[in-house]
Amino acid sequence: MNPPTIKAMVQAVPRSLGSYGPVLAEIELALQSPQCSLTTIGDAIQKDPDLTARLLRLANSPFFGFANRLSTVAEAVSLLGIQQIQDMIVASSVLEQFKGVPDNLVNKESFWRHSLAVGITARLLAMERRLPKPDKFFVAGLLHDVGRLVLFSQAGDWAQKVFTCYQSEKILLREAEKKVLGYDHQQIAAELLQSWSYPAALVQAVAFHHTPNSSLSKMDAAVVHIADHLVNAMGIGSSGEQYVSPLDDKAWAVLGLDTEILGRLVENVDEQILAVEEAFLKK
Amino acid sequence: MVVAREVKNLDGMLLAPSGCELSERQIGILQAWGVEEIDVEASAEVAQAHDPLAQLPPEVLAQITADLRTRFWKPDDFGPVPAEIFKLMLLRQARRALQPKP
Repeated sequence: MNPPTIKAMVQAVPRSLGSYGPVLAEIELALQSPQCSLTTIGDAIQKDPDLTARLLRLANSPFFGFANRLSTVAEAVSLLGIQQIQDMIVASSVLEQFKGVPDNLVNKESFWRHSLAVGITARLLAMERRLPKPDKFFVAGLLHDVGRLVLFSQAGDWAQKVFTCYQSEKILLREAEKKVLGYDHQQIAAELLQSWSYPAALVQAVAFHHTPNSSLSKMDAAVVHIADHLVNAMGIGSSGEQYVSPLDDKAWAVLGLDTEILGRLVENVDEQILAVEEAFLKK
Repeated sequence: MVVAREVKNLDGMLLAPSGCELSERQIGILQAWGVEEIDVEASAEVAQAHDPLAQLPPEVLAQITADLRTRFWKPDDFGPVPAEIFKLMLLRQARRALQPKP
């Protein structure tokens, strides 16, 4: 039997934003109005108490590091910006979308801890490198292994075959994917994010996070590649791969940072991960 | 005193490179830019006393190193950056091993 095609798997993923869909739709609608204000956006968000609590938890966490405590959603929206709020809501909805992934294939909590940590690290690297819009790297890091979730949720039997090959042949999980399926989780993610009309640079960053030099957006892919390597080295969660996969020295050169920053970066990730986990994962 | 970590202003201009001996003139420049504190290298005795690798019993350090190596893919083929990351992770693990258990 042949493995499923990437297209078939991606088409089977429901395109819904879960329970946050109505809030996002209301924000979109509000933004189209010339009378739109921060209060309008804040009011839309506050209709969802769960989202409001998560947003305020995150806004007051070391992730943003505001000196004063933010007590209202309108304050959070004005300081974080509407784009960032939308990104965070979409990211939360992706987490929700894949909650049906079978537990025998991956420890979901561990998977999300890994994804959040890569998001945090990618954002910190982008800030260190003074790249524009560092928050988009949080989303790219968070979604970097979403291709695996598509595989686990849509083709569990084939995912099992991949793990059997991975364990018996003692190769990297991505190599096992290629051997068994003929493609890897990067290619699945690329197809999914393209079909969801994500920005091209974000798709490139996710689609080439193991092979950043092949990306059309080398810098974006290098940031996610290095973040993934660091988080694996730190042992924060796992998306199924048990090894710290190789780091491409060329990607580090593309970033142009001094290795001196690594110590501080690791400390910041350790500091931020607990707060961000609290905001995204805890009910 | 030797500068441990390079100092830059908000525009990224280098005010003091790492490894340089701090002179009175440089201290004046840093003060003029409003720099209130910088990292300087510790003396050999202080560094030894604060080095977590030096504080661990050799057999514990060997075990931590071996455990860490099993997690990395082909640790003998490291380039300079992965080697630096491995060193950092070893320090992180050593610090954790030295922390009192709750």
